[in-house]
Amino acid sequence: MTQVAEAIASGALPGRLWMYSNYHCNLACSYCLTESAPKVAKRELPAELLLSLAREAKELGFTSVGITGGEPFLLPHLPDTIERLAEILPVIVLTNGTLFTKERLQRVQRFAGKPVALQISLDSPDAVVNDTMRGPHNFRKVIEAIPALVERGVQVRIATTMEEMDESDMVRLCALHRELGVPDEDHIVRPIVRRGRAVDSAMGVEAQAADLPPELTISADGAFWSPFGPTVHSGALDTDLLVSRTTSPLQRPAGILLRLVQGRPPGEDSKLGIK
Amino acid sequence: MSITVAEPQVVVDLIDSSQAPLLARPYYQGSDPGPIVAALAHVPEVLEVAMPFISALYGPSALPVRLKEIVVVRTSAHLECRYCIESHSVVALDAGFSCSEILGLRDLDDTVRERWSSDEAGEPALMEWIDAVAGATGSVSKDSAGRMREYFSDAEIVELTLLIGATMMLNRFCTALGLPSSNGTLERLRAEDLL
Ligand code: SF4
Repeated sequence: MTQVAEAIASGALPGRLWMYSNYHCNLACSYCLTESAPKVAKRELPAELLLSLAREAKELGFTSVGITGGEPFLLPHLPDTIERLAEILPVIVLTNGTLFTKERLQRVQRFAGKPVALQISLDSPDAVVNDTMRGPHNFRKVIEAIPALVERGVQVRIATTMEEMDESDMVRLCALHRELGVPDEDHIVRPIVRRGRAVDSAMGVEAQAADLPPELTISADGAFWSPFGPTVHSGALDTDLLVSRTTSPLQRPAGILLRLVQGRPPGEDSKLGIK
Repeated sequence: MSITVAEPQVVVDLIDSSQAPLLARPYYQGSDPGPIVAALAHVPEVLEVAMPFISALYGPSALPVRLKEIVVVRTSAHLECRYCIESHSVVALDAGFSCSEILGLRDLDDTVRERWSSDEAGEPALMEWIDAVAGATGSVSKDSAGRMREYFSDAEIVELTLLIGATMMLNRFCTALGLPSSNGTLERLRAEDLL
């Protein structure tokens, strides 16, 4: 058993490896952590790299992988890649749920019965409120896509990202997700984190490493403490949650992350008096 | 002698404490870590091995600080590294060097070694060794090596030579990235007429 596997088994490290498949997105949400939008640099992790990272993750003792972005389904290879990833480890894919055309629904139908879950964002039971944050027609597209996926046997989770919601709205939202075929255990509510675009609008909560579970996250820019790590503000990558630039072999960032979790000696060796 | 090498133009963003990666944070605690750390912080897994190496060579060790500063200032003069010449001229002042000694170390004229007056007989041999290692390419003169052996042990020669090599590496790193000297360094050098 690797040290990482032991740490995962003991609960010291979460078992999911996150991978940022890309940074571009068809939307440009007001609180987006990565300042994603249609024209930003894609910064993709190629399909073969996603697969080899998942294989390494399995060997190290990780128990699942998560794909996030950007909007992963903008990548044409994604349905095939998810299917191949699911042969290695269970997969969760974070998606805005707006790209499920008939053709794409057909392509993802094969996820039915496989260890694949699609986590779709839906922030309010009100179209206007939801679309203010996420863009025009977002609400309609999402509430059409979710039952279409559920009918095809694809596991769907709904993620609600919000600053505050009064109780009656939450009751309506929960009624809506049940109506769409998503059970309570697959509805996640989480706060807006003040990174990326949320900084400019002073939305959400500040989060430091200590506030975030140490979920190893790989992007085109390196390995990070959490999927909230490789965020972008004013076009520049945030490095405060950077673990290492080295991502392969995965053991390297996984080992550093574990060392960070377990504590490290202070950098006394920097006191050279040179500025 | 004034420093005539080009004004630096910083090539990469220098990472400030708010963006310091997790492995780099200990180096930011309490004070400005300086531009070498702030540049290396872009690659934290390299920073965390480079800094102990740099510290072992440039921090306290079996070698007297005076010999180390002779190496660093003179090697940096050979490689025309503005940042290292400036920052280590201040370190040399703090270590008790006179301004004329510092100017002598920066002066690459051969006759400086002959005019060098110090109680330590090995210093001109060390300067000759630095000139042979950092000021030339290809093989290093056997005569210079012989003179080093007259004054220094094997362990001292190894450490001094590694220090020359590490300084050459840092010289090129700092020069290529255009790392800037701090205002404090520049003020001190101006006050001592060492700029
Ligand atoms: S929050 Fe998600 S859906 Fe919205 S712009 Fe960012 S990546 Fe796209």
